[in-house]
Amino acid sequence: MPPGLDNLKHIVVLMMENRSFDHMLGALKQQDGRIDGLTGTESNPDSNGNPATVQPLAEFQGQLDPDPDHHFPAVDLQIFGDDGNRTANMQGFVKSYFHQREDVNHSKKILYYFTPDKLPVLTTLATEFAVFNGWFSSIPGPTICNRAFAHYGTSFGQVSMDIFYIKEPFKSIYERMINAQHTSKLYYYDTASSTMEVVNLLQHEPQLFGTYPQFLKDCENGTLPEYSFVEPNYSDHDTDSGEELANDQHPDHHVQAGELFIASVYNAIRQNPDLWKSTALLVVYDEHGGIYDHVPPPACTPDGYVASANDTGTGREFRFDRLGVRVPAILISPWIPKGTVVSGRVFEHASIPATVTNFFLKNYEQRSVREKAADTFLDLLTLSKMRTDAPEFDID
Amino acid sequence: MKLIKVPKPPASAMNKDRPISSLLKTQLLHVQKAEFRLPARAQTNIYINAIKTEGEAAEYIRQVTTNLHKEHATPAVKPRRRLGKAKTGVFEIAAAAATKRHTKSNAARKKRSSKPARARRTKRKTK
Repeated sequence: MPPGLDNLKHIVVLMMENRSFDHMLGALKQQDGRIDGLTGTESNPDSNGNPATVQPLAEFQGQLDPDPDHHFPAVDLQIFGDDGNRTANMQGFVKSYFHQREDVNHSKKILYYFTPDKLPVLTTLATEFAVFNGWFSSIPGPTICNRAFAHYGTSFGQVSMDIFYIKEPFKSIYERMINAQHTSKLYYYDTASSTMEVVNLLQHEPQLFGTYPQFLKDCENGTLPEYSFVEPNYSDHDTDSGEELANDQHPDHHVQAGELFIASVYNAIRQNPDLWKSTALLVVYDEHGGIYDHVPPPACTPDGYVASANDTGTGREFRFDRLGVRVPAILISPWIPKGTVVSGRVFEHASIPATVTNFFLKNYEQRSVREKAADTFLDLLTLSKMRTDAPEFDID
Repeated sequence: MKLIKVPKPPASAMNKDRPISSLLKTQLLHVQKAEFRLPARAQTNIYINAIKTEGEAAEYIRQVTTNLHKEHATPAVKPRRRLGKAKTGVFEIAAAAATKRHTKSNAARKKRSSKPARARRTKRKTK
């Protein structure tokens, strides 16, 4: 076993909100041709049929208002465009956004992307550690069903934001860990932000949850569980000691607040030497939020569920046989070679419980078809000697 | 080791009056679903359709999340306390309902038998 895996005791996943790979990291292709980002010539037809080209003009806030539609029918249009042959061509993003405000110029902003200098945290981590060229959301749809794949390895047939219910024999990765005498926790930011996993986990198993201040303390004290899932702050709100700014990067929340949050999670692990050498941190986004990406989502192993034509809202049923739009994903560990670009492999959110289960629980059979088929990522910790050159972020 | 300065968002980024997104609307519905399973005394009585802003949504979510944790830590049913040493082994509720009659029959039994109580119980068990 590589030394990185011998030393590994903790896996931490930070799941952000609603940004596509090209929007956040696409510009890195200019620095490193191995990264499957943007050439600058990618385009979509606008509602008049004229080509609109990607532009490095993304802003931190105020640009993607209204929130781009990312429910199943809208994502279907974004992926397939108007193509009657149903070829995934990624040509329907501008048209989809046009439907919301019926403003041709505004609809083109869905193609805007950030330059690396605007996102020093995310792009530094991507270039210092391992960036995934092929991490896709699990469903071409919204948050709740996509996050379900990270928790359970399936959405139990759900393709929307509606409440889903766990079906036996599948259990959340947290329950699997606890039942096997391992340790695991979901850290939400604070009680006012809470979790997106309310109905199944918070309601029935509140003891699985902690807050972000507790995460920081657990990192400092060396008491972090073996598997942790961190949720950002989903709203601007008051607290007993002042105000908290949403840091989930969900449009129209300020993207720099999310940068600070990612840096804070990273620093908390980085600054405890024992934790740093024994932890793998995955930063990943739940779905693309309706924002442009140029890579067509691939077909995947069907999940065994069928969402009806009524449930998808497209007039077609969905057999969970295609992934959603690509999202940013970065794996961080001092055992990963600098500048790792993961190519030629497909990952999705079911890769998270698949990886945690494979590493901590070994042979655990009661898993969804999708989770069993999902690729895992700990093989990226390949170095025989731990790196000492990893960056730190000044967030004070 | 590189130290990278991370810029802070401007103060103007904060907007607690921002209308809630479809994500927060969904979270409100899910939180309300969980709230309705709480005992009435732990429910907020907040009408979520009147929640329009992020600040309002966060306050409702805070209250229900706190209550969910609190109620989960509270035993749902208190274990019954037994009334002293039960001579017959029946539960207190039955004993309380029949207190008067038991008193009479106990007194009558005392008259009928000179054996100690312990011996009588042993005899019953062996039947």
